Amino acid sequence: MKSSCEQHHECMKVIQRIIDREATPEEEAAFLANKNQCMPCQDGYELELSLKNAIQSKCAVKCPEQLFAKIRAKLFLLFILISILIPLFC
Amino acid sequence: MDVSVEDKIIPEAKAREIFEKEFMPHLDAMYNFALKLTADEDDAQDLVQDTCVKAFRFIGSFEPGTYAKAWLFRILKNNFINDYRKKSRGPSKVEFEWVEQSISGEDEFAEPAYFADLHAETVQDMMGDEITAAVQSLPVDFRMIIILCDLEEFSYEEMAKILHIPIGTVRSRLHRARALLKEKLAEYAKKKGYH
Repeated sequence: MKSSCEQHHECMKVIQRIIDREATPEEEAAFLANKNQCMPCQDGYELELSLKNAIQSKCAVKCPEQLFAKIRAKLFLLFILISILIPLFC
Repeated sequence: MDVSVEDKIIPEAKAREIFEKEFMPHLDAMYNFALKLTADEDDAQDLVQDTCVKAFRFIGSFEPGTYAKAWLFRILKNNFINDYRKKSRGPSKVEFEWVEQSISGEDEFAEPAYFADLHAETVQDMMGDEITAAVQSLPVDFRMIIILCDLEEFSYEEMAKILHIPIGTVRSRLHRARALLKEKLAEYAKKKGYH
């Protein structure tokens, strides 16, 4: 297995497109075919994947319950205002 | 009763239905995005509320069946840029420089060698608060693109529309944002003694 990669910068761009599901099937196939022969690319792939997974699983928070009620109350008020104002101008 | 929303007449029942069915399911995601942008729970709640009111005002221009989440995120982002960001502060010099580079400098950004100190296992071992703090410490334009891509899984094309930037800038900004995030995580891991 290679311990250094001459095109690592380019490879990292392809790796990111692969984990973002934006790479072409050809790019993905070419990368996966060579991944196990290049240690920096293998490590880079695993790091990018773990980072994306960590953000997805560890950075999400739930919206406070009262926010649903606040928004519905604001919109209700907006409906009332609209229903009062429209007849005045029509 | 019909509702006049930004010059388009929509029956009230229809407007409510669109709001409940198309917009409300994305409230968690909107709050998440707002919280990462403002870094304050009260500001995030205000930003989401303002976004919902704006979305309702423009509900006539929303086409049911199209991607409501991207539409809402675009309104939220504009709202943040126009109101909240101005209230708190303008973009920092660092933000300006980073964004300038990503627009003009066509992505010749070398992967710094110290990333070699950051391993997938280290990231897996980190707590949610640690990852969130690292994301939070990024310049806001980078924070935005990381959240849109990695947390909300928007496509590059959708992000280009939400952020109103070319798709090439999406790619380069995302690449730089991830490089900076890895740099911050590597520093943090070193400080905390992660292996």
